[in-house]
Amino acid sequence: MNKYATALGLVLGTFLVKSQDLDLGIRIQKTHSMYWENGITAQYTLAKFKPDNFYVGFSYVTSRIGTAAGTNALKQDSYIANVGWNFGKKVKPFRVHARLNFGYFHAEEVVDIFKDVPNTAFLFSPEFGLKYTFQKLPITLNLASGYYLFTGDGGESPGTLQPLYYHLDITYQIFKNN
Amino acid sequence: MKPIFNISALLFIIILASCSKEPAITNGLLDGDVIFDPSINNPEGYYISAKYPNPTQADLDKHIIIAIHGYTATTFEWQEFVDWTDDTYGDTGTYRVSQILMGAHGRTYEAFKASKWQDWAESAKVEYQKLVDLGYTKISLVGSSTGATVCLEMMHSGFFNSTVAPQNIFIVDGIIVSSNKTQSIANIVGPMLVYVEADQPAEQDSFWYRFRPQETVRELNKMMKEGQKELENGITAPSGTRVKVFHSVNDPTASSASAVLLYKGLQHSDGSTIDVEMMESDIHVFTRLALRKYEGLSVTQKNIDNQLSAFQQMAEQLN
Repeated sequence: MNKYATALGLVLGTFLVKSQDLDLGIRIQKTHSMYWENGITAQYTLAKFKPDNFYVGFSYVTSRIGTAAGTNALKQDSYIANVGWNFGKKVKPFRVHARLNFGYFHAEEVVDIFKDVPNTAFLFSPEFGLKYTFQKLPITLNLASGYYLFTGDGGESPGTLQPLYYHLDITYQIFKNN
Repeated sequence: MKPIFNISALLFIIILASCSKEPAITNGLLDGDVIFDPSINNPEGYYISAKYPNPTQADLDKHIIIAIHGYTATTFEWQEFVDWTDDTYGDTGTYRVSQILMGAHGRTYEAFKASKWQDWAESAKVEYQKLVDLGYTKISLVGSSTGATVCLEMMHSGFFNSTVAPQNIFIVDGIIVSSNKTQSIANIVGPMLVYVEADQPAEQDSFWYRFRPQETVRELNKMMKEGQKELENGITAPSGTRVKVFHSVNDPTASSASAVLLYKGLQHSDGSTIDVEMMESDIHVFTRLALRKYEGLSVTQKNIDNQLSAFQQMAEQLN
């Protein structure tokens, strides 16, 4: 439960930062040749720094509400912070964006005999995507793909952490400061 | 527009050039037309069904263990177990080893390139059924790396439903998920790569394919993916079969997470968990130590102890 409280706290902690816009929503993520890992995401722009382009955010995805739900797949969690850039000078409904993600991965140990099996990793990935914001509803769809770098190779990296992933975020604009 | 056209043309040429490249196969490679796995021309030296085509009752009382090697490998991978068995027990042992060669392995690059994973698994199934038809009632299997994935496939496909169930299935560094992080995207970049050249010393070129056609990497991924999915849904071993998994903790090829997935997804028919032993090792297929020195590895006492422990544990069950 502590990790869920932490994740929620980080998301809600965005309210402590003076943000321009705050979008909150769900993420549906698939790792290529590996699991569905779904979760939540929060993205916000900063009032005093390029609010039309630059944004930061936080996401939490887990196989617990993905492939591992009701199966023998490993339960694993990823906590990801990101910085991003929406391309183009004007704010339009359809935008291309790029991100750099930084995070932490943890897979369940299952039983003590696996205590030495690598099950944690730091995450770093570049990501590119397309987002569309509806005109009449404060909802944004974000379709993106990223590739984890430096996940380690050989026997030192968690086996169920694979590099290429795709995700769809569906977010709702909680507030917008003009 | 002109720069975009030039870049597009350049990319097209690069892709076309990549698709047409062929590996430099010489007569000194297993991939070529000269060197083949010895079991092809001498099956009697490797397959128990061929060595004893008319088994006596004394032969039929022996426990037969079918040893299945891994992807791109040959019967060489289990030769040390065969030699250790001969040295330890001679003719008085309770078991014999049937060293099979996976389909399309130990032959040529072209044969390998044209194969499907079902072809690889076929040899083990054919030998297993031949032994049953000859009258053997005590049969076990040991699979290393992809050979282990073959054993898993034989379980989840229901192969054993219509034949004698194996007494034991031993899994050595079985591959369900890869430690190689780029293997998962082989179906995306594979056609451009055409093949992957293994980073292996020349001394191993007679025993492992050096060049891995991208088609076979995709087949391997398919087989692993199917095994992974079946484990997620749950696999029950045949009635009476005991499963033991040995896995190197820091396996650089078959991620040790494979052992975790096997533990979670595979159970005995009585509902009990399978036996898993994590080996303090960072080599893939820790039961094979021959030619390791040419990989730049020093074979440590721990490596030797691990190999011996696995051999002894298997032998103890083959009675």
